[in-house]
Amino acid sequence: MFLINCPYCGEREQVEFSCGGEAHIERPKNPSDLTDDQWADYLFMRKNIKGVQFERWNHINGCRRWFNVARNTATDEILKVYNIGESAPSISGNNPTTPSGEPVIGSGNLSSSFEKK
Amino acid sequence: MNLQQDNCINSLSNNKVENHFGVEIQELPFINKINVRIDINDNQNIIKCGKLINAILPIQPNTYVKNDNVKAIWLGPNEWLITNNQNLYSNLKSEIGNIQASVTDVSENRTVIRISGEQIFKLLSKFLVLDLEKNLPDESSCAQTLFVKVPILLVRNNNEKQIPEIDIFTNRSHANYIYNLIVDGSQYLDF
Repeated sequence: MFLINCPYCGEREQVEFSCGGEAHIERPKNPSDLTDDQWADYLFMRKNIKGVQFERWNHINGCRRWFNVARNTATDEILKVYNIGESAPSISGNNPTTPSGEPVIGSGNLSSSFEKK
Repeated sequence: MNLQQDNCINSLSNNKVENHFGVEIQELPFINKINVRIDINDNQNIIKCGKLINAILPIQPNTYVKNDNVKAIWLGPNEWLITNNQNLYSNLKSEIGNIQASVTDVSENRTVIRISGEQIFKLLSKFLVLDLEKNLPDESSCAQTLFVKVPILLVRNNNEKQIPEIDIFTNRSHANYIYNLIVDGSQYLDF
């Protein structure tokens, strides 16, 4: 449990919110030109960063509005809340180190070989 | 004609008031509710709606405005709930319910449980994750949150008696559950 600062309602408990997954995924301009693999990448493949991740959240049991959040998935610290449509803030530079010192991407099994295409 | 306009809490006969430790709990009689969605930049429709309900739609989050018959409650940056005793729906629908704005009659969606008394904040804090002092600071504030797992809308009233009073708007299907929990909770306010 942690607090999220809804841009409209202010600071509320996380149970009032619903996470909408990774933010800033653009729908391909010409889906019919894509191979099945590329389309599957767009549909299913998501980063699983241990560190700062950009996510969409919805205040589902409050004002029911969507917004973006930059959250450190290791510590649940919320570094920034910004509106839908805004580009991702450049806070990757101060990526907090993960508690066990694993690599940021693919840290679940200490393999850094997986990178999102 | 409308079967839903009766009270919906089974254990209640009409307007029965439960009273424990100075906390009064009752279900309010049926009241019309209209959901209005207007783009915040659409001044023309916002003004038109304000004239029809005789109140200014609140822009400040988690507040409401009221006049004698109407309450306009903030639900979101472009969404309001208008409660009223008159039949405002047809007027609003014909005047502003066009392509740019939406007007929906949601009267039967929710019922209202009113609790009043000095200890209602203590009572509600048994069930809410919301910080009531911060989110319901004065008599013009409202908040949407969870009551255990049920979405509710809290509206803090002002009355002449200066006794704290809160209206809980909840789905009719969850009203019994919430009512029973509140009545039960109110019997143990002394420890």
